[in-house]
Formats: sequence, structure tokens, C-alpha cells
Amino acid sequence: MLDQHSPLGGDARFETTGLTMREAGGFMLIQYSGPERVLLRELSVEAAFGKNEKSEGRTFFRINSAQIWVIGKELETRHSSITNLSSSRCRIALFGEKARAVLQVCAAVDFSRASFATGAYVMTGIHHTPVLVHCTGPESFHIYAMRSFALSVWEWLIDAASGL
Amino acid sequence: MSFRRLTSGGRLDRDKSVKFRFNGKRLKGLSGDTLASALLANDRLLVGRSFKYHRPRGIVGAGVEEPNALFTIGKDGTEQVNVIGTCLELTENLRAKSQNAWPALSFDLRAVNQLFAPIFGAGFYYKTFMGPRLKSWMFYEPHIRHAAGLGKTGTQGTAARHNTRNAFSDVLIIGSGPAGLAAALALAGTGVSVTLAEQDFELGGSILSSQNENLLAWREATLATLNRAENLRLLTRATVQGLFDGNQAIIAIGGTMVESLRARTIIFATGAVERPLVFDDNDLPGVMLASALRTYANRFALLPSKRCIIATNNDSAYETAFDLVTLGATVMIADERNGIAGELLAKSASLGVVVFAGSSIAAVAGKRRIEAVMLGGPHHVRLSCDLLGMSGGWSPLVHLTSQVGSKPQFNPSVQAFVPGPLATGHYVAGACNGSFGTLAAINTGQAQASAVLAALGKKAINKTDVPPLEADRGLAILPSVSPSKSRFAFVDFQNDVTAKDIAQARDEGYTNIEHLKRYTTLGMGTDQGKTSNINALAMLANLRDVPISQVGTTTFRPPFTPLTVGAIVGRSLGQHFRPTRRSPLHDWHEQNGATMIDAGLWKRAWYYNWAGKTPHEAYLKEMELVRHNVGLSDVSTLGKIDVQGKDAAEFLNRVYVNGFAKLAVGRARYGVMLNDDGLVLDDGTTSRISETKFYMTTTTAQAGEVMSWLEYLLQCHWPDLDVHVTSLTDEWGGMALSGPNARQVLERAFPEEDLSDSALPYMAVKDIEYEKVPIRILRLSFSGELGYEIHCPANFTQGLWEHVLKMGASAGLKPYGLEALASLRIEKGHVAGLELDHRNSLDDLGLGKMASSKKSFVGDTLRMREDMMAPERWSLVGLELLEPGKKLRGGAILFAAKDEIKGHGRGYITSVTWSTDLQIYVALGLYQGGLAHENEEIIAAFPLKNEKVRLRIVSPHFIDREGTRLNA
Repeated sequence: MLDQHSPLGGDARFETTGLTMREAGGFMLIQYSGPERVLLRELSVEAAFGKNEKSEGRTFFRINSAQIWVIGKELETRHSSITNLSSSRCRIALFGEKARAVLQVCAAVDFSRASFATGAYVMTGIHHTPVLVHCTGPESFHIYAMRSFALSVWEWLIDAASGL
Repeated sequence: MSFRRLTSGGRLDRDKSVKFRFNGKRLKGLSGDTLASALLANDRLLVGRSFKYHRPRGIVGAGVEEPNALFTIGKDGTEQVNVIGTCLELTENLRAKSQNAWPALSFDLRAVNQLFAPIFGAGFYYKTFMGPRLKSWMFYEPHIRHAAGLGKTGTQGTAARHNTRNAFSDVLIIGSGPAGLAAALALAGTGVSVTLAEQDFELGGSILSSQNENLLAWREATLATLNRAENLRLLTRATVQGLFDGNQAIIAIGGTMVESLRARTIIFATGAVERPLVFDDNDLPGVMLASALRTYANRFALLPSKRCIIATNNDSAYETAFDLVTLGATVMIADERNGIAGELLAKSASLGVVVFAGSSIAAVAGKRRIEAVMLGGPHHVRLSCDLLGMSGGWSPLVHLTSQVGSKPQFNPSVQAFVPGPLATGHYVAGACNGSFGTLAAINTGQAQASAVLAALGKKAINKTDVPPLEADRGLAILPSVSPSKSRFAFVDFQNDVTAKDIAQARDEGYTNIEHLKRYTTLGMGTDQGKTSNINALAMLANLRDVPISQVGTTTFRPPFTPLTVGAIVGRSLGQHFRPTRRSPLHDWHEQNGATMIDAGLWKRAWYYNWAGKTPHEAYLKEMELVRHNVGLSDVSTLGKIDVQGKDAAEFLNRVYVNGFAKLAVGRARYGVMLNDDGLVLDDGTTSRISETKFYMTTTTAQAGEVMSWLEYLLQCHWPDLDVHVTSLTDEWGGMALSGPNARQVLERAFPEEDLSDSALPYMAVKDIEYEKVPIRILRLSFSGELGYEIHCPANFTQGLWEHVLKMGASAGLKPYGLEALASLRIEKGHVAGLELDHRNSLDDLGLGKMASSKKSFVGDTLRMREDMMAPERWSLVGLELLEPGKKLRGGAILFAAKDEIKGHGRGYITSVTWSTDLQIYVALGLYQGGLAHENEEIIAAFPLKNEKVRLRIVSPHFIDREGTRLNA
């Protein structure tokens, strides 16, 4: 097998009081595209926008009316178009009591517990680049950053954390 | 001493002395002081010089309205200018300097400007510095700028870190005076999230300037409740600098934090500021706002030393007089009104305050500080004094409501502008709305909190406690008549605009307030006319003989108080100024001798050190490698788009000028797409992977634009098409393997695959798997040589790159960079970003024959406009240098041989390279009439270096016109 290389080197990690950030690679991201009713039927999900859905080890994110991202193994579909995006995104995990505060520095989204609870996700921008932020637990999050911008986003996050 | 510090009282910690420096002198204040109060406590009445006339200026106010007391803070190149001394909390070792004085504050040579006041009136600059020549202003400007200005920023910049953050709130309350506190109190514990922003370092607003024990006790009790409430966020030192659409408030907090707060509702409790009176020499140090004297007395324990005169046209100044007397000062009141309320006169008499009814200030005496006043009206007396407090009424702070679209309306009962109709979700409470009494402020604060709760769908609140206070009294204001001929009767202290300037501007036709503002500079600068606007409006109304309401107001702009550039920039500096985009091979390039270059946001490998130490030396060697052997180049930055769906072929057929409907599976085709204006948008190669799946590549520069364009077309023009597009630019990395030995290397890299010419001919595409990794091989050529692009998922691109290099090592395979890549294509005559600049048509680029006549495509109508078809358009040509030893430069202007070398010429060179094949400089360019002039000798001029060379127009395809090499 050819060597794999991560945009953050695979072992990127940043720790400070109340916050840990690390690269969380090794995931599959598959995009399914198609008419809405076809998508929902073939993937057997409701997939409300802004709230993830989980099923058989997969996590579903509704990206727009015609596209759903699935973290997990590829599903067989007959009519939906499938695009593998596993290399296109770098996943950064944040956790700790300061995680929400870091995110609040980065994007104009209400990341408070009341508004952004476990399972919530949002497509927004960090450091001028598009990202998907997913709340995976009360104080833990995943950021899916574009691979080519990942190092810049990572450096931006560290800088944001340094200012808390 | 004009002020004396009381031994008790005030909101000071007398156990904590604070050392600071003013103009180098060591001084002491107390914890709880502002810089302004500490200076007054040290008898520093003179704190600065005025903008234009360099007149000595003292502190006028005690808060955000302050026009004079602006200081430069810091040292050693980190100086920050225009810091308002009345708002700046005194801190240990603070270093403050006065502004606009040379050589010293006490002896400012530029004060000579006052002698020229008769000619320095409104519009002086506009009238004087127009001539004698057209560009004379260029001569005058540096001298004027040197003489004028408000401070000088340090050259080193601030060492402080400026942070930013976002926040959200159901309610934003701006201001923590009685109205703001009452609103917050009413919302405490209701479950809605509330942010209370107060620019001061203490909560309380005008309460802090009061000595009413009931009111102060109410404040304490209220703060205790607010501090316990979990739904409240109390921000001090937090100035709402601007309000924008969507209820976005930009709040500067503590000098090093800018918060962008989105609020569902806003309660404006910004209060009001007192207005000065306009009379001759009203800018003399010691002439202050009456409310400021009250604040300095009650909050900072600073009392007028001897005698204080209060000049007023309304009732509110009596509160100041009574407070000062209660603390031990001697006070007299000059009241412009004759009908003064009986109870005020009675109370004045009982406290020993002498009231001169019907009296205004006719003149003041003193050189560096006030020494006496001469009263006008029935009492022609000279009263010695050490301070004069002015009260011309109150101006609600409508800046923020105005910023979000509420046009101020004039309220004659308080002689002030108040917010006009407000947008949904906006509420005004207290003095900001013209309700100047404390009880009114508390009541309206509570009422607006109830309204907010109702708007948010919450239950109404019970009425909260109100302190036992005397009933509010009205202002009973008598509008003042300002002199219009006095030379130094100042309306705008900060910009040195006098009553005479306003009269003159009006006489010269500037009757519109917006015009008058610009002609006189009234209301500009850091204070944005907080103390000056209403007096100027009243004057203009009098001069025009119209009501003030007809004069209107000027536009209030953010920031509300001076804001540093550092605060605005935040962390967007250095490497964080903009994001950097890196290819999946970036690390390899850096570790293997590549010199990187910026290409938009991308970092690309420019050239490698195996080929040379300079870009010129290296790119030529890399070109030779590709022309004569084989090279490998990173093309991961190319735009890559996944186009899927049963209508994908039809979609591409509409997007590209050439046909794609019948492209066979496994084949690639070069395509050009136009914008709907008929000009070329981009080019690239699109491959058919299956009946319903295509793989589009775009140029690096246009990748984002093409992606957006395709989405726009699908969503807005052809929503009926079953097509889905997805950017794969980050998903797939790519490399170009080019050169006569490219196939040999490719076959070594993938020995299991049939990659022969027959199995993979030119413009064919093949998907394979290598070690379980999907790989797409496209037989394309940008260089003109036998070439392949090898694409794979970005996680594996470096692994694949290393594998190919290893397999090609024995053949001499080496990497080549962007400079060589871009030069090889010039020799081949391929257009790229420098030619695809959104100004050229298909025909301009020699691509007109590609356009299909059998189908419709985007831009096909507008590309046929008359001007687009004109034969004299600048179109693509090849250019050969005719003078050995000379150089061609990109951007050089092209002229016909007979032309005078002047102006924009007949075209320009877009791209240039040394041709390793032809051993001459060759170039692509755009030339009027294009190849109709083939073989003509022309001139390329490069005026920046005073160069001129002879060229010949030739075909843009310099090498292998038959395509033998790429079809090999």
C-alpha cells in the first residue's frame, strides 16, 4: 500500500489548560448526491439539517437538499451519486472546558451549550475557509477543514487558544 | 489650584496611590481616578492644544463627550494616540503626553496661528491651496499635515495582543445608567440571555455622579442581584463602537478585545451628554460642563477651590450647584432665563447660592485658566472664579440608534434630537429617548425590558423596586442664542469650528447641514460632534430662520469613541493575515530543495535546487529535462470537479463552447467555457469516467470561480437537470509526467497495466488501482511533450509521487517546478491565466474554431456582439525577439514599427520565456489585429527600464505544430 500522509503530519497535538486539540484522521467521508426524496430513501435517514443522525456506525450530515455526507463505510445505493471525499478534509478534534470558547473566537456561530448541543453541526468558516463543525459531546468537537487549508486552520486555532 | 481633593467621599481608594507621568512629570493619583480626574487633582488644567489655532485647552467633560482631553499613551514607539482622558482608568506607571503642541504644551509656537484667525475661517484650505498650479496641493499637503493633526502614533506598533471573539445574546443593553440597570434588573432570572455593555470601568452611569444615598443604595442592591443572575453578562470597559445589520454590535472591551455580538433585541440606554454654551473664549481651561463639575465632585472628590460659576439655560444645572455647595464649594449661578422656578430659587437661597437671573456669559478673563467672568444681561458684573460650569441642555446619545437606521427627530420640549422610529427589536430607555429624570429612566428601563420579554415570547415581569426619589423635574430649557460674529466663540472644540465659521459657511451658500459639516469640519474627528452638533444645528436654523427639525442632523458613524487599528485588525496579521493553501506534496517539496512561490493562496514549488541556484538557471535546466528526457511536476493545485448525474453530458454540452454530449467513456477533451457576457471564463480538460460521471479540470486560478459558476447555472438556470457537482480539488492530488521518456517511466511505475499508445492514446483516460489506491491516468500534455497526468486521493499523493520518482530514477526522472511548467506551455502556445483574464473572446485567443455551430452554449449570443467581432481587437500572437543579447519582458507594450512610443500602444506581452528549443526569447501577447500582422516586425517598449526591442509576430505555436511529440 502506498504511504498515507496527513496534512498535519498525523500526530499534531496541542494542549493547554482546559483544552486539547489533535488531528483525528483515519475516517471515511462519502458524499451522496441526488434528489432529496431519493437520497433519504436510499440512505434510510431523516437527516434534519443541523443535527447529525447516527445509524449502524455511520454519522450523517445533511449538507444541502441534494447532498448528504456520511462518516463511515460506503453504503450501496442505486440512484444516488457517490463521491469519496475522505482525503479532502482534515479532521481536528477539540475537547475540554475551553473548546467552546476557542470556537467562539473562530466563527460567528452560537456555540453555547444551549444552542449547539451534542449532535449539532454547522457549516461555517474559520480563517476564511469553509469548515464543518460537529459537536460530538458536551465539551468535544470535530472540525472538518479543507485539506489544503488545514495547516492554516490548525495554526489559527492554536493562536485563538493562546488568547483565551 | 482650581480643584482641591476632598479628604473623604468619592469612589476612590485612598489607600492606593497610583503613580503616573504626564509630559514626563511624575504625578500621583488614586485608585478609582480617571487620567482626567488625576490631572485635575494635580492642578493640570491645561492638557492640550487645539487642532487649528493651537489654543490652550483644558478638560471640558467627564465622559465620552470629551472633545479636548485627548492624550498619547505609551512610550518607545508603542504610543497610542487620541485616548480620551476622561474615560481612561488611571493605572500604575501610565505615561500620558499631550497632543498637538510644539515645542511644549505651555509654550506652543504654533499658537501664532491665532493671529491669522481672520483668514483661517471656514473653507480656508479649499480656497487657498487650489493653485497656482494643478498639482500645487501635492506641495502644500505635507506641510499642512505636519502642522495639524491629533497625535502621532508610535512607529513600533502596540505590543499588546488584540483578540476577537463572537458572542450571542437575546438582549443587548447598551449603557448601565439607571435605565440600563433597571432593564437588566427586570430581565434578571427570566431565562433570556442578556449582555449589559458599559463603557466605564464601573456600572452605574449617571448614578456614579450622584450623592443621593437612596439612589446609590439602589445601585448597590441592583448590582448584587445582577451579579447573582446566571442569565446576565455584565461587561465593563466595554464600548459599543458600532451597530450593523442583523443587530451585530462591535464591542471594544478593555482595549485588547473586540467582541462581535449578535443580539436578538437591543435596549438603548446610552444616556445623554450635556451641551456647552457658546460665548467668546468658551474654550479657556477651567470652563467645563456643569455635569462634569458634578461628576468630579461626587465621584472623584474634586471640588472647586474658591468660587465656581454655573452658567445655564435650564434647571438641570441646579443639581450640580446644590451638590457642590453641599460639599463645601462657593457657587453662583448665571441663568439665562428670567422665569426660574420658585423652589429652585428658594433652595438656592437656603444653600447660599447666588442666582443671577436673565444673565448669560458676556466674556471670560484669564490667560491659561479662567480667572473671572463678565455677565451679560441685567447684571453687568465681573465675578472672579476658578471654574465655570456650562449647561446648555442635554443631547441624547443617538449615535448608535442612528447607525441602525433610526433618523433622529427633534423634540422641542427638551430641545434635543431623540431617536426616530426604531426597527423591530430595538427599544430606547431613559435619557437616550429624552426622558432626562432618574425616575423616568428607571421606569422606561423596566417598561422596555417588559416589551423585550413580550417580543421574545416570554412572560411579562413584575414591577421591580424603584428607589425613593424626588419626582423628576423637567428641564424648562430656554434655547440659547449663540453669537455669530465672535472670533473665538467655539461650537466644536475638537475641530476649532467657531460660531463665526458657521455663519460664514451659511453666507457662502452651505445651508445644508451635510455640506456645512464638510466645509467647516464640524462634527468630524474622534468625538463625532457629541458636544457640538446640536448647537451648530440651532445656529444654522436661526441663520436660515427655519425650525431645527428642518435642518436635520448629520450622519453618525462608527466608531463611537476612538478605536485602535490593532483592535480592528485583531489576530489577522502576519501568517494569520490570510490562509495559506498547501498541496499534498508541500512537505515533500520543502524537504527536497524546492523554492516555493505564492500563487494566489497556494504555495507552489517554483524550482528545485537540483537544477540551479537561481530561478533563471533552474527553470531552463528543468525545461531541458522535459524536452529531452522526462520530468515530474506537482499539478495538485488545478481545479478538479466531479460532475455526476444522468444529465451530466448535456450539462457540459451547454457549459463548454465545444461538444461534450458524445464524448466517449475513457476519453478526455479540451474545453473552453464562456461567461454569459461571451468572454472566456476558463479552459481545461474534462474526462468521461462513465455514462453519468465526468472529471473536470480547471486552471488553478479559476477553480473556485468555475465551481461557483457551475453551481449557479444548475441552481438558477437549469434546476431541471439531474446533475451534481462537487469540488475535488482537495480530494485529489495530481502530478504531470512529461517528456519523451514519460511512457517508459509510467510503465515501470504501474507494470501491471497496459499503458501503450494504443491502450492509452492521446486524450484518453484510464482508472486503475495500484496497491489498493484508486489512480486516474490522463494522457494530456500542457508542455507539448508526451505527457500524462496521474491523479490519486490526496492522502496518497506523496506516496505515489515518491513511487513514480523512484521508478523513474534510472531514466533520470527529476521534479520540475512552476516556472518551467509555465514556460513549456508558452513554447507550445497554450493559453493560461495571463491570457485568460476575463477580457478576451474565443477569437481573441485563436480558439474561435472550437465553438460549435450545432448547439447552444453559455455566452454564444453575446460573444457575437459587433465589438467582440471587430477585426482590430487585440488578439493572441506569438512573438520572437529579433535582437540577440537583449531581453523580453512580460507586460512590455507593443507598438507597430512606425509608431511613436507613447501611450498604451497596440497590445502587450502576456507571457515570456527563453526557448530552450529555439534558443531565443519567445513570448505570447495580445496585439491589435492579431495574426493578420504575422511576420511583421514590431516594437516592444518597457518604459520602466527604458528598454525598446524589435520583435516579429509569428504563430503562437513555437514548437511541434503537428503534435508529433505529444502523440508519440
